[in-house]
Amino acid sequence: MIWLTWRQHRKQAFYTLLGLAALAALLVPIGLAMRNTFGDLGLTDCASQLARADVAQATRETCETGYRRFGDRYDSLNLVAVLLITLPALVGLFWGAPLVAREVEQGTHRFVWTQGVGRTRWALVKFGLVGAGVLVLATVYGLGMSWWVDPLTKAAYEGRLGMIVFDLQGIVPIGYTLFAVALGVFAGTVWKRMLPAMGITLAGYIGVRAAVELLARPRYQPARTQTFSIEGEGPPEVSRGDWVLAQGIRNPDGTVISEGGRIQCPPGGKGPDGRVCGAELGLEPGAYNWQLYQPADRFWLFQGIETGIFVALALLLLYIAVRRLRRIA
Amino acid sequence: MIEFVLDSRSKVNTYMQLVQQVKQALRVGLLSPGDQLPKVRDVAQSLAINPNTVLKAYRELEIEGLVGGRPGVGTFVQRTLAGASLPNQAELREDLVAWLHRAQAAGLTAEDVVALVETTLRATLADDAPQKEPA
Amino acid sequence: MDVVLEADRLGKRYGSTWALRDCSLHLPAGRIAALVGPNGAGKSTLLHLAVGLLKPDAGVVRVFGRSPYGDTEGLADIGFVAQDTPLYRDFTAAELVIAGGKLNKRWDAALARQRLAQLGIPPDRPVGKLSGGQRAQVALALALAKQPRLLLLDEPVASLDPLARREFLQSLMGSVADSGTTVLLSSHLLADLERVCDYLIVLNSAQVQLTGAVDDLVAEHRQLVGPRHDGGTIGGVAAVVRASHTDRQSTLLVRTDGPVTDPGWTVREVSLEDVVLAYLADGTTQTSHSEWGVPA
Repeated sequence: MIWLTWRQHRKQAFYTLLGLAALAALLVPIGLAMRNTFGDLGLTDCASQLARADVAQATRETCETGYRRFGDRYDSLNLVAVLLITLPALVGLFWGAPLVAREVEQGTHRFVWTQGVGRTRWALVKFGLVGAGVLVLATVYGLGMSWWVDPLTKAAYEGRLGMIVFDLQGIVPIGYTLFAVALGVFAGTVWKRMLPAMGITLAGYIGVRAAVELLARPRYQPARTQTFSIEGEGPPEVSRGDWVLAQGIRNPDGTVISEGGRIQCPPGGKGPDGRVCGAELGLEPGAYNWQLYQPADRFWLFQGIETGIFVALALLLLYIAVRRLRRIA
Repeated sequence: MIEFVLDSRSKVNTYMQLVQQVKQALRVGLLSPGDQLPKVRDVAQSLAINPNTVLKAYRELEIEGLVGGRPGVGTFVQRTLAGASLPNQAELREDLVAWLHRAQAAGLTAEDVVALVETTLRATLADDAPQKEPA
Repeated sequence: MDVVLEADRLGKRYGSTWALRDCSLHLPAGRIAALVGPNGAGKSTLLHLAVGLLKPDAGVVRVFGRSPYGDTEGLADIGFVAQDTPLYRDFTAAELVIAGGKLNKRWDAALARQRLAQLGIPPDRPVGKLSGGQRAQVALALALAKQPRLLLLDEPVASLDPLARREFLQSLMGSVADSGTTVLLSSHLLADLERVCDYLIVLNSAQVQLTGAVDDLVAEHRQLVGPRHDGGTIGGVAAVVRASHTDRQSTLLVRTDGPVTDPGWTVREVSLEDVVLAYLADGTTQTSHSEWGVPA
């Protein structure tokens, strides 16, 4: 059974590794260049410096400028990062969907299931081996991406919890990839043809990922709120690395004056003409900036929760798939 | 060793065709006592027929005492059908040829001749040959 | 008499349609049985039930006394070649022999290799690039390498040209003669199997129309020709399978339970094909009449 699985998928495995190698050949030089620039701009220590409460104004300005220059140069790579997110889906499409669908489409399930190996064992060995291979693949991908995306992450305000970079690194790619493969397998047991199974896998993957990302992820832990004064010196203070879910300006009674924005007034809260800062917006004295956010140090917790969700979904789908197999003839 | 041939258009049973071919071979002297019949497996394979059919034909021949099976070796001819009739055949054939010329002279076509022979054969031999064996 | 395969009121449903219904039959050991019926009659369904690919929705099917669905051990005794002889097309014949060895406890790889060598099948070409006849031979060799006691073949010759068809049946008969395996093979054409089978199961419209040893079936059916028949009983006739009438004359295909002595009838022997066609025609018109909602 192991021999059979290897013989059936060795070509596919070869091309997958080839693809991975090509990807590495493309991304490693970019990653190295990014790191060099990052160092040259003096950004290496910025993260730890900015995290300190007593950070000097000058350091802050240098770092912000450096981040901006880094961003100007490499922001376009965020597009590449978006493309990289699709890789787990591709694995599901080309490894998961054909696993059962191709057998049934070509009728070979009637050959292999009528030998001396029951179809449940066939499924467990096959899903197990392909799953293990995919696990290794996803781990390598996750680690590689963590390394590659690190400078981009640091330069971005949202940090590692940001929408796209969170999905690229750490352990979540393992969950996504396993889920995509399981979804492909499951789709194959329902539609039993390769192309429909692949189409359904793609649609299902995008749907579930979007739903989890938009609806579930912000609620993994109760979000924190933070308020800070609208008066201050220099550029507005930002909380680097936190994932800001909502922000706005509120009056002392709590009513939201402006959603999605924040203001920074000179100390004293008076405009040049002597009016109270922001009066034209309807701000009353004592108004404050407000934000709802997930703090940066929840990164690994969130990674764990999200991975757990997708691994659980994958196991559920595989369980249903094995049950469905018993009814295919 | 003889080789069996099947007439796919014939209405005669496959096993009967095999029996008849062996008898025919015995009658004309192609097979004589001691000769081996083709192995069941080989007949089944070369004619693409059920081995049970071949077995049935051989069993029929065995019951008639024409052949005998030796377990693990094969089936062998025990008795011949040529017997006394074989030497007489040449003379009978000459008579038949002469008769055919007369029939031709009388205006009978080949089909007329066959029809005449068949009806006469049936009428004459019906009483003394309960098992009909078209030659 | 050992029974290899038996079904009792066996049924399989897809949605609300019965693919096989009230199917009761038994197949004695050592037979080569033909499973005949038009396309869609339920032949594949019956074979899939027998090899455990499908689970019955009604009744039971037993192979060597065991229920085949989910019975992995029982599979060792059953060789199965599915319709269109599906094989991994990118595998070579030699690799398929290895695969079979990995998938089965009892596996005669030497036998398979010898058979394939005799047939001149190249061992190192992907089977997807072989001819249909060669592929069917590979599938048969693989099924036989299991040394099964029952061999099930689903339309093995339907897609083959006449020469390949003959070669396939030749090698099948040769190996059956060697092994004594019981065989059940399906076809929508009786002519393909008439010479090889000695047992017959006729399926039509999801139901068994006729089953029995070929010799018995031929012996107990007769064609009667006589004056127009009004449906009364005829001595020696158990059932009228099919009747056609002109205004004066009736032609009946009947199942007899004794000699038909009524001098009004001319009695003729029938061929196996006559019998099968009579039973198939019977089923078709009945179904069609009920489906169209008109009286038969």
